[in-house]
Amino acid sequence: MKVNPIYWQETRVSSRSFRLPLIIFLCNTILALAALLNMYSMVTQAKATAEIQYSSFLNLYVLVACIEFVMILVIVPALTSGSISGERERQTLNLLLTTRMTPADIVIGKLMASLSTMILLIVSSFPVLALVFIYGGVTVKDIVLLLIAFVSTAVLSGSVGICCSSVFKKSTIATVVSYCVMVALVLGTMALGKASGASGSSFLAWPLLMNPAVPFSAAMEEQLGNVWRITVLESWAGSSFRRFTAGDWLWISLMAQLLFAVFCLHMAIRRVNPRRKRRWRY
Amino acid sequence: MLKVEGLKKMYGRMAALDGLCMHVREGALYGFVGPNGAGKTTTIKILTGLLLPDEGTVTVDGMDAMKEPGKVMEKIGYVPDFFGVYDNLKVWEYMELFSACGGLYGLKARRRSGDLLEQVGLGEKAQYYVDGLSRGMKQRLCLARALIHNPPILVMDEPTSGLDPGTRYEFKEILKELREQGKTVVISSHILSELAEVCTDIGIVEQGKMVVEGSIDDILDQINVRSPLLITVCRNKEQALNLLRSHPYVETITIRQNDIMVGFTGEQEDEAMLLKQLIDAGVMVGGFVRERGNLESVFLQIINHEEGMVLISES
Repeated sequence: MKVNPIYWQETRVSSRSFRLPLIIFLCNTILALAALLNMYSMVTQAKATAEIQYSSFLNLYVLVACIEFVMILVIVPALTSGSISGERERQTLNLLLTTRMTPADIVIGKLMASLSTMILLIVSSFPVLALVFIYGGVTVKDIVLLLIAFVSTAVLSGSVGICCSSVFKKSTIATVVSYCVMVALVLGTMALGKASGASGSSFLAWPLLMNPAVPFSAAMEEQLGNVWRITVLESWAGSSFRRFTAGDWLWISLMAQLLFAVFCLHMAIRRVNPRRKRRWRY
Repeated sequence: MLKVEGLKKMYGRMAALDGLCMHVREGALYGFVGPNGAGKTTTIKILTGLLLPDEGTVTVDGMDAMKEPGKVMEKIGYVPDFFGVYDNLKVWEYMELFSACGGLYGLKARRRSGDLLEQVGLGEKAQYYVDGLSRGMKQRLCLARALIHNPPILVMDEPTSGLDPGTRYEFKEILKELREQGKTVVISSHILSELAEVCTDIGIVEQGKMVVEGSIDDILDQINVRSPLLITVCRNKEQALNLLRSHPYVETITIRQNDIMVGFTGEQEDEAMLLKQLIDAGVMVGGFVRERGNLESVFLQIINHEEGMVLISES
């Protein structure tokens, strides 16, 4: 089977470096600590009151999933924002471009490599997530939905990172800008949603469709329950948020984010292509 | 094999290339020479598809590089003026990566990589990490990488800059070997003495234009005609100078101890006549030779804008 050479090279190098095992170790340590502390508090409570609250195990699942979601938002841009600019810094991009590899091959190879790292991270965290299966309350469908939300978030933030990496020559600037874009997508759209609730203008709520927290929140619908969603997310993003997590809006939101990711990748491919007309430089 | 016509490229208001033309025949080892900022690297980047020209055409083996960039890329191997290596890969992995980038996989790729590493003298270093290689080895690895898809044309931008004389000698030998294998090599370098040794053709570019192009022998013959006559006088120097001052073909006279350098515009027969005149006048002539021109003297004449040195030959 012919594997994308860039993907092959990236995975070989990352599996050889100390960074990947360190990331996996740290992420799973954080998740395990959160889960164990949660379980310890439940056991202590059970000892004190002689009563076991099964909803606490669901809270454990919610907590672990939320931590993982935030980690994806934080880690993926860091993995991808140096991908193209790093090649430029090493002066290897031009060499790749003089081979049969197209700019699209290079960009897709880079994205695949960072996604595979992220998927490895998600899969490695399954044992912690599976703690909840001991007590029940979460179905396979919930897990699949959660996985879809994670993957869509990883694709979106990875595409944003690669786009920034292709636009800016220095990896540091690319990383800062990609984090800014992700903050704008998550918190910025929430602020707009809230402003929409306050002003009564539904126009300001539409950018919420681009918010990766929307599919995640929808995937967690059963577990989060109305109380959590209404009190926390709605207080941040206004009542419009709830609208987008329900029914077909979830799929529309996923599609919108996928389209944005495709747009980012298209931009990256254009920027990498040496045969395009240059209009501006950084 | 490689034909460039009317190439123009502007960087803002500055013209990097101003209608450059270049003709490289099949099997030639073409030295691409010019002062800094003359447009060499821009030309090479256009040839290798890394830059789009504003105007002009590049034809490689009859194919238009602007219309069929993919096919043209398969015909060109590029060795840049930097190493461009992944430090955390082993030598064989680096070669395997670029084999895959060139469409070669599996056993075929491994065989080709092995052969090339042997050819550039890195066969025993295949298991080494690239960052453990010396500068010269990295450059040889780059050469092997450029040849991985067996391109008929090799374009090299300052490949020997920063290398020690020993490594430069080895590199020169590899170039000769490549030429024997029938590769067409375009090599840009500032080390003119080296180019003169290995190149069959040269092109001198200045201010984005090709000012001299042709086979190296033709160009050196041309420069020889304009090179000064070196006359060593053992006795009667004053008499010799008087004769030279009144000679119609003598333009300039420079005296260096017993040697007299004469700017002489005459042909070979006129040279023989001058020698006879000197002897008849009682001058004891110890040496009478026209100084052999070299690539450096051609280059210096061109960049100093001397007239009458334009030789464009389409071979």
